Amino acid sequence: MNTKVLVAPSPHIHSGDSIQKNMYGVVFAMLPALLLSFFYFGMGAFIVTLTAVASCYLFEFSIQKYLLKVEPSIKDGSALITGILLAFNMPANLPIWIIIIGALVAIGIGKLTFGGLGNNIFNPALVGRVFLLISFPVQMTSWPKALGFETSYFDAETGATPLAIIKEGLNKGDSLTDLLAKLPSNVDMFLGNMGGSLGEVAGAALILGLIYMLFKKIITWHIPVSIIATVAIFSGILNLSNPEAYAGPAFHILTGGLLLGAIFMATDYVTSPMSNKGMIIYGIGIGILTVVIRVFGAYPEGVSFAILIMNGFVPLINVSVKPKRFGEKRK
Amino acid sequence: MNNMQNFTKGFFKENAVFVLLLGMCPTLGVTSSAINGLGMGLATTFVLIMSNLVISLVSTMIPDKVKIPSFIVIIASFVTIVDLVMAGYVPALHEQLGVFIPLIVVNCVVLGRAEAFASKNKLVPSIIDGAGMGLGFSMALTMLGAVREFFGTGKVFDFPIFKENYGMLVFVLAPGAFLALGYLIAIINRLRKA
Amino acid sequence: MAGKKESTFINMVLVLFIITLVASAALGGLYELTKEPIAKAKLNKKLKAIEEVVPAFDNNPSEEMYEVAMPSGDKLEFYPATMGGKLVGTAVKTFTTNGFSGYVWVMVGFKPDGTVNNYSVLEHKETPGLGTKMADWFKPVDPTKVKLSLVEKLGKLVGIKPAATKGGAEGDKKSIVGKNPGTINFTVSKDGGDIDAITAATISSRAFLDAVQTAYNEYMKKNNNKEISHVGTHSSATSKQATNSNKEGGKS
Repeated sequence: MNTKVLVAPSPHIHSGDSIQKNMYGVVFAMLPALLLSFFYFGMGAFIVTLTAVASCYLFEFSIQKYLLKVEPSIKDGSALITGILLAFNMPANLPIWIIIIGALVAIGIGKLTFGGLGNNIFNPALVGRVFLLISFPVQMTSWPKALGFETSYFDAETGATPLAIIKEGLNKGDSLTDLLAKLPSNVDMFLGNMGGSLGEVAGAALILGLIYMLFKKIITWHIPVSIIATVAIFSGILNLSNPEAYAGPAFHILTGGLLLGAIFMATDYVTSPMSNKGMIIYGIGIGILTVVIRVFGAYPEGVSFAILIMNGFVPLINVSVKPKRFGEKRK
Repeated sequence: MNNMQNFTKGFFKENAVFVLLLGMCPTLGVTSSAINGLGMGLATTFVLIMSNLVISLVSTMIPDKVKIPSFIVIIASFVTIVDLVMAGYVPALHEQLGVFIPLIVVNCVVLGRAEAFASKNKLVPSIIDGAGMGLGFSMALTMLGAVREFFGTGKVFDFPIFKENYGMLVFVLAPGAFLALGYLIAIINRLRKA
Repeated sequence: MAGKKESTFINMVLVLFIITLVASAALGGLYELTKEPIAKAKLNKKLKAIEEVVPAFDNNPSEEMYEVAMPSGDKLEFYPATMGGKLVGTAVKTFTTNGFSGYVWVMVGFKPDGTVNNYSVLEHKETPGLGTKMADWFKPVDPTKVKLSLVEKLGKLVGIKPAATKGGAEGDKKSIVGKNPGTINFTVSKDGGDIDAITAATISSRAFLDAVQTAYNEYMKKNNNKEISHVGTHSSATSKQATNSNKEGGKS
């Protein structure tokens, strides 16, 4: 290409970054968790992931082509990420028709209604998940136990997540120590040996993905670290105030979708703040809301609600925390 | 504007819900089923017609400075009439609609028509305006209720279309009201422009 | 506009006074007119709930209603239903505070021996689609009365059979109708009881059963004090219990 360089002063070199490159980097970072979920949940995980990704692509293509009549943007890879993230948030025995509705809501309502990639206020995969969670609470909260390859898609044994066990037990009046004794150990939870959605069970694999993304500079550390630190500190304070009523930081970080949310969902470019300071405010907000919903709310799990709520605040954060202009005087 | 146009404007061109976005409180609150939407719409229609009728008659006698309080008293009286009559004769529907019946008083459609139309027009056009606006409002609420009932429970007017297990609960809950209303407005806008 | 009244003080006071006077007079009259139908509608609603849960009766249970105050300050209401002077059942308006979000009010009907005749959920704030299922969950399913949806009817036309409604043994374990809390453990199977909880709504199920159990306990307490026929019932209850435990012994 021999187009002229229009902006003159400093020398510019194209970094080689593009939407596509970053998107596929994220997908690569999700691979360890994805493979591990196949290992734990067997065929079910595979069917759920395949259906979610395929229907996300299908809806993105057909809505853009036939309803909006614009050039379909399926090549940018964002539908692939939405599909995998959506699958990560589903139990491995979810009926196929529910997965398809979830994909339609994620792409149709969560993304294209707002004007497509770059204009969506809320993380599409989370919109899909929360819609399903409210619409089909029975199917969305019966998780198959992670048994490895013998888990069949159709009649897997179901069990509650650690968070749900704690919440229900505390409501019944059981003591926390007894309840914790029933649960898998922290090491097991870190390796993913517990009931839950596809992507939320394996903390270790998710952290591997985080390291890869940080190394490749796909994301910065601000959002994941601030979320995890806030949850640790906040749940630590609650735990110290009354160890019998509130579980400790390790439990809160390893259970539920916290790592998944902090690493892959909250860091979505479009729906997170632009400046580093903004990202930290955003992360702290998510951390506090997550613990508040988990401990005091009606649902056992709060990460997805917390991220969606803070997504709504992002435009405000962007306006109030602007990065310093080059050459601006310090106050 | 002749009487016919006066009547039909409430349905499409100046529909209270889809175009003017007035009366959102009952629109979002009670439309969890088609029958609830229809009941609410008809109750509002009655209040609209009666208050338009009375206000067009007495508006010349009311000094400007006490116009709004007088209108509110007149509207509130008719709302109370609806409330009492419904409690006595259709208790089931009255219980369903609950607090939203007394809240018709603060429905912007009613005061809006009183102020914008009835106080400046003669008796007959005012009644027609009230009827048109009210029935348009009822139509919108019924549509919204039917959509939410269909997606949420698989029924329309309690007639089962598909099995309730396949219904998307969110449509019966509050967030579904916003979703359904948003997409209905989008569709109506598209139709209006076409 | 011609003839428009000036906004003088006297005009404003006069107009507002007349409007409020007319409005209040009209409403006062209407209130008197509708007072009776409203009271009747309220009574009918209660009567309907009672009729639903006890066998046919010919007295007016509302007149013979008695209350028992609970420690929380709320009251249980008892509506005895008699046929020809003989007690055929008692409807108890009972509640629990253990619901997923606060109070759950249930009208439950007992036969004189304490067997649950039927129930009807009056008021609750449980999660729609989960806790709300309690309205029918604990009743036996009658496969002949299940209404087919349009899609299923169309499917039938082209030869697809609608999915069978679960009845029989599986349906029985959900139902509380025809069971006696004295002999059957009215807690959810997850807690070692004999009743299956609503799928994914264990807390609401627990609350519901708690309300029924409270009603039963108070009902039996009352009956102990004044019913003579009770002795017989009690012995039959204990013998039932004995056979029950025998059965269980045999199973294990």
